[in-house]
Amino acid sequence: MVLVVALVAASEIVRGAGGRVARGKRPQDARGGISRDSRHKRSHTGAKRAHYRKKRKFELGRQAANTKIGAKRIHVIRVRGGNTKFRALRLDSGNFSWGTQSVTRKARIIRVVYNASNNELVRTNTLVKGAIVEIDAVPLRQWFESHYAVPLGRKKTETAEIAKEGSNHVQRKVQARRKDSAVEQALADQFAAGRVYARLASRPGQSGRADGYILEGRELDFYLRKLRSRKA
Amino acid sequence: MAEQTEKAFQFQLGNFHAKKKPVRWFNEVGLGFKTPKEAIQGTYIDKKCPFTSASVSIRGRILTGVVVSTKMKRTIIIRREYLHYIKKYNRFEKRHKNLAAHLSPAFIGVQAGDVVTVGQCRPLSKTVRFNVLKVQKKVVKGAKSFAKF
Repeated sequence: MVLVVALVAASEIVRGAGGRVARGKRPQDARGGISRDSRHKRSHTGAKRAHYRKKRKFELGRQAANTKIGAKRIHVIRVRGGNTKFRALRLDSGNFSWGTQSVTRKARIIRVVYNASNNELVRTNTLVKGAIVEIDAVPLRQWFESHYAVPLGRKKTETAEIAKEGSNHVQRKVQARRKDSAVEQALADQFAAGRVYARLASRPGQSGRADGYILEGRELDFYLRKLRSRKA
Repeated sequence: MAEQTEKAFQFQLGNFHAKKKPVRWFNEVGLGFKTPKEAIQGTYIDKKCPFTSASVSIRGRILTGVVVSTKMKRTIIIRREYLHYIKKYNRFEKRHKNLAAHLSPAFIGVQAGDVVTVGQCRPLSKTVRFNVLKVQKKVVKGAKSFAKF
């Protein structure tokens, strides 16, 4: 009896592992299907292992999500044990953290800029964990300016001290915070451009979210250098 | 920056790097094994090192063997010899098994012939389930002998 895992059927035609066209998103077709076993691999000594049993359901693998940037589209999948996974097919925003300031804000994802594993994923703007993306800088900048009452990434001409309303007590608090409000130059430049580089820390095909953290410090230097050398 | 040899930025998981100076994280492996100095003072990043990675714990078997090959990147092959008894002839025969173990960059200058202690950990790759914990250099008989540089 062929076990068929009931999934939300995709309306698009999905290409199977061998380039075959497969309707819907079945993890295992009668003949093909992705399995995660090691019985098909050669052993440590190099011996070819005998094929003595069929593929089992607990060894199944599913098609990759290949999450793109666009209006949110997430499919819910029932997995082993009755649990659910959220396969994000298209995402447009995520929750991004600013580590040194310990704040997290929801921001729009603009595009994928670098992927250590595969340049193809950069070209096709595919969201995966560990991808370096450009996000909209506005939400974090708004938080910064309201928290410290110091302009961040504004052009010299339009710099006006952001007047912090509030009681005397509030203003004194804000003034006291100012001494911690130093932001490194590379990061400030990004805020000025309105686009900040961030790294995805969640797995969109598993959790359905594209969350991450903005690049700072040595990590930022590392990736800026990589981007510059690619452009050159 | 010498340790950033890969295409992605290498960092210790759970160790926030941007806060001023990154403090290196290391741990005791337990079972009486001393953490090598290089693991504490070095700058390498290895997510499979038992001393500088929280995701690898040593539990289960502790075995020893002789290093056969160090040609792989950060892993070695160890040879473990044993005697197998044949009842009919009341005698033994020599047998051996090879074992792949992950070699942390904390151990420098490990060569073929060294005796090594390995501890069991979770599967790190298709064949690697052990991690090197201690290296005893090969004892060369004769005080003055030229080792190949």
